[in-house]
Amino acid sequence: MYGNVKTAELVSLRIDGTEISVPSNTSVIEAAEAVGVLVPRYCYHPGIPSRPAQCRVCLVEIEGQPKLQPSCNISVQEGMVVHTASEEARSARRSVIELLLVNHPLDCPICDAAGQCMLQDYAFETRQLASRLNEEKLVMGRDRIAEDILYFADRCILCTRCVRFMREVAEDDALIVAQRGYRAYIDTFPGAVLDNPFRGNIVDVCPVGALVHEDFLFKARFWDLDQTASVCPSCSTGCNVTIDTVENQIVRLKPRHNSEVNSYWMCDHGRKHLIMSNRGLRPEAPLLRRDGKLVPTGWGEALTWVAERLREVSRGMAIVSPHAANESLFYFRTLLDRIGIAGGTFRVEQGEEAILPGFPKLQLRADRAPNASGAELHGFERFDGGAHSDPGGDAVAVLEDPLGELPDEWGREASFFLYVGNRLSPAARNAHAILPVTTFAEMEGTFTNFEGRVQRFHQALQPAGLARPAWLVLARLVSLLEDGGDGGVAAPTLASEAFQVMVRATPAMADLEWASVGLKGARLGSTEAAVPHAQAPAEGA
Amino acid sequence: MAYPYRDDRETTTVLSRHMGEPEARTLSGWLERGGYEALGTALEMEPDEITEIVKESGLRGRGGAGFPTGMKWGFMPKENGRAHYLCCNADESEPGAFKDREIMRWTPHLMIEGCLIAARAIRAGHVYIYVRGEFFPVVRVLNQAVVEAYEAGYIGRSVLGSGWSCDITVHLGAGAYIAGEETGLMSSLMGGRAEPWMKPPFPAARGIFGAPTTVNNVETLASVPGIVANGSAWYRQWGSDESPGTKLWCCSGHLVKPGNYELELGVPLSEIIYDVCGGAPDGKRVRAVIPGGSSTPFLTADELDCETTYEGMQAAGSSLGTASPIVMDESTCLLSAMRRIAQFYAHESCGQCVQCREGTEWIAKILRRIEDGDGEMKDIDTLYDLCEQLTGRTICVLADSVVFPLRSSLDKFRDEYESHIQQDACTAT
Amino acid sequence: MSRRIHPSVAGAQPFQLAERDPEAPLFESAEGQERLQAVLSRYPTKQAALLPLLGYANELHGWVSKQDMESIAERLDLTPAYVWSVASFYTMYNKHPIGRHFIQVCTNISCHLNGAQRVLERFLEETGTRPGETSEDGRYTVIEAECLGACGFATAVQINDEYHENVTPERVSQILAGLDGNGS
Repeated sequence: MYGNVKTAELVSLRIDGTEISVPSNTSVIEAAEAVGVLVPRYCYHPGIPSRPAQCRVCLVEIEGQPKLQPSCNISVQEGMVVHTASEEARSARRSVIELLLVNHPLDCPICDAAGQCMLQDYAFETRQLASRLNEEKLVMGRDRIAEDILYFADRCILCTRCVRFMREVAEDDALIVAQRGYRAYIDTFPGAVLDNPFRGNIVDVCPVGALVHEDFLFKARFWDLDQTASVCPSCSTGCNVTIDTVENQIVRLKPRHNSEVNSYWMCDHGRKHLIMSNRGLRPEAPLLRRDGKLVPTGWGEALTWVAERLREVSRGMAIVSPHAANESLFYFRTLLDRIGIAGGTFRVEQGEEAILPGFPKLQLRADRAPNASGAELHGFERFDGGAHSDPGGDAVAVLEDPLGELPDEWGREASFFLYVGNRLSPAARNAHAILPVTTFAEMEGTFTNFEGRVQRFHQALQPAGLARPAWLVLARLVSLLEDGGDGGVAAPTLASEAFQVMVRATPAMADLEWASVGLKGARLGSTEAAVPHAQAPAEGA
Repeated sequence: MAYPYRDDRETTTVLSRHMGEPEARTLSGWLERGGYEALGTALEMEPDEITEIVKESGLRGRGGAGFPTGMKWGFMPKENGRAHYLCCNADESEPGAFKDREIMRWTPHLMIEGCLIAARAIRAGHVYIYVRGEFFPVVRVLNQAVVEAYEAGYIGRSVLGSGWSCDITVHLGAGAYIAGEETGLMSSLMGGRAEPWMKPPFPAARGIFGAPTTVNNVETLASVPGIVANGSAWYRQWGSDESPGTKLWCCSGHLVKPGNYELELGVPLSEIIYDVCGGAPDGKRVRAVIPGGSSTPFLTADELDCETTYEGMQAAGSSLGTASPIVMDESTCLLSAMRRIAQFYAHESCGQCVQCREGTEWIAKILRRIEDGDGEMKDIDTLYDLCEQLTGRTICVLADSVVFPLRSSLDKFRDEYESHIQQDACTAT
Repeated sequence: MSRRIHPSVAGAQPFQLAERDPEAPLFESAEGQERLQAVLSRYPTKQAALLPLLGYANELHGWVSKQDMESIAERLDLTPAYVWSVASFYTMYNKHPIGRHFIQVCTNISCHLNGAQRVLERFLEETGTRPGETSEDGRYTVIEAECLGACGFATAVQINDEYHENVTPERVSQILAGLDGNGS
């Protein structure tokens, strides 16, 4: 927040009566945040470098200065005395809001941003009870800014956050202010649309409802959304996100700030991919093959049956998915060790890369999965050689790989075929037992990103049918194998417990604590330790 | 083509002496008139000596703000070896003002000479003359003068063999009032929208192309050769202690002899309007005057006995501005005049600051509605309140510029507003 | 066109001319190249050449087309969007083709006081156009202009690159006849 804390000197100032010391390169608006005062802002955005000080809504009184000063643009000074809510500052703020409403259509009832609109918020705060406007409003209409983004010019307050995001962060000067004065609007080159892979962020930085994603248009009211802190599963960067859901459906992903991973941003692939990948047929109850047919059954019966069959397995192969959580991979490893299957492989879908120049750590990475590092950490090997080979007459155990592109008869000859997953592809239907597990969005757990940052995600959706988190299912199977099913060995029932078991059993993760991973994640000891290839599997819990 | 507005009375002619003489536009004609002698003097002086003389002369910026020129030059870093720039602000766009255009079209070499001397004083190696786009006939004259001066060695490498080099580039604007604002001009010159920026950084620290820059008005620079050639005491023979020298007055509106007159600072405004310009035509009485260009407060006919210095105009409740009185006779609808002024500022707002972008347009709309007969008494309160909200809260002073005439017209001609609102009738005769 | 222009003034040529060639190549000609290089030589950044080159496009073509903006963007390492942002800020670059006689009537305060509105109306009447609209024969485009800086000569009217001063409604037809008479 304060830039380079180490080299900057500390200065003391007083903001609304509170003394504070901050580094000298802190702006007044940031210093105010540190004492819990949120000065209204439109053009200022902490992730966009420039401070044009043009919206004038953050004007504050600084003693000794004849005029109000924009708090975003003024650096703190020793002995400065700031009043963010003096009569003059409040009057100026109120006036900015009134003036912004002069030509604003007040179409909040049909605006996507209603409920999370900084114009609504400040209009409320500054008590704009009645409009003095007696004139006809200027009508400018709407425009397509990108294939998936619309621009409602009449709602625009011209803070230029979107323009400056594109120019300064995406470094793609394709979005601009056209014309000038009250006729100004946001525009692309005539006839062109934004095709930048990070363009969706302009919708997020828009403080009002001027820029909207067309696929979210009229879909939900903000106050009806359930928001869940999560991690984007669409590549190995692991951008911190919020999953917004309505009626148990994901309607959008929004980036969640994490200065170590994605700053305030995420890519458009991530925004869309999860929603698309969430579609498809799901197994909703355990299915056991009886007389050649898959028959639905309850969990108790299914697990007992599978445990019985697993006791007979001595050799075979294992396939996992880099979409599985660390905890699930850990318990799968534990189970495989118990039954004597070594190794195991996973495939990672590859895609085109894209980098966000203004925050180069944020990349859409070629590995289109969130947890390849986690899979490697638990002793699974990346496999790039096309399709998984048929197990033939051996046993095969699969964790969450959808087995999507395999021939219909794949695995049909296997001595035992256990499928722990959430897709019902033709190959998966050849399994002897299908244990339905949740997707990451339906559970709590952790992923390990490309650089060994372990990050938690929370449960955003109710599971499909009887699906359970894979770690829960696998831990139960391990304990059944361990003690014959008499309950002598307890399996964890909370993600936090599974996590603790995992870190105790996994040397590379030994430093981690569930609580310290928190909402921002934690790096494994070092990058080398983070992604050891073919590390020896940990002993069972 | 004779210079059409010579005052019949004895007058000062520091700037305008050779206006109306077509030969003065040519280099040879200019040299015959003693041109570039001051440059020769300046080339023998150290930069800081030039600055010192200009400081002593008390010359103040003629672009409207009246900031002491020598002091402005003094803000420039003193070290050599780093690019410094001078911008000559020839983007004359204040409604009412047409003095820089006269300097450039009659005596371009005077301005060029001023540019070169100023460049030497501030250690600039390149001067950009930012001319407003509409001035095509003017820029033709200026361009020719620049090329002639280049070819004769007055501009370019080792000026007059002195070893000191300075380039001049003429740059043409394209229709944006705000490009006349110092930082707006610099944004525009660098190939951008003419959007003013928050100071700091001040131009002397970081102006165009990231380098120390001074921006001076045409008339300011045209005053410099005389000062350097004749000394500061010579310049101080005119005007007051705080406002020395002479000034070109651009007189327009309802006048018998509108035009451009060079007068000593301090001449009473009434004398300029009645004696020099002959008052309003057709025997009509003067009703109101905006003395310093459209962005300065109105004066009533009773308030014209003020001294036309920076301090005198301020004491009179207005401002010298660009010394461009716009005279309105008794037949003038002041509401309509104010509406036209407001419409201009709304049109010219760059659109960055909310108050200016939305406020100027709202004011223009309210005034238009009152003019159309649909006003309400509460509009007057709203206008007053908007004056409050648009003052001192924006990056530049464009918003303030509409407030000055608006607030003063509300104060001084409230009857005009009330008459339009209550009777849908004008108080003009 | 063929006369060599001194680089110091290459970026400051009048750019609203009666004589235009909308089809002329912008930079793919000796003149275009010369102008481009001359302008570039005067500024430490390429971007600073933007206004001069927009002016050049307007001078050559009578307006600034999308294609012009794209060519300029390419030459100056700018995006076309950026060029559009700048071009649209300034009123003097025509964003669409205009009539051969581009008539700009100042209606700002000093001209307003001296009957500019009637001058404007007369121009519109006589040319049979509405503001900003080009007459059917392609001859005239009349617009209302902000202050032309000729306040002592109200009403000021700019026709292409020439100023007409002290214009009264009565003089309008004579001025228009003069334009046609000399065939410009």
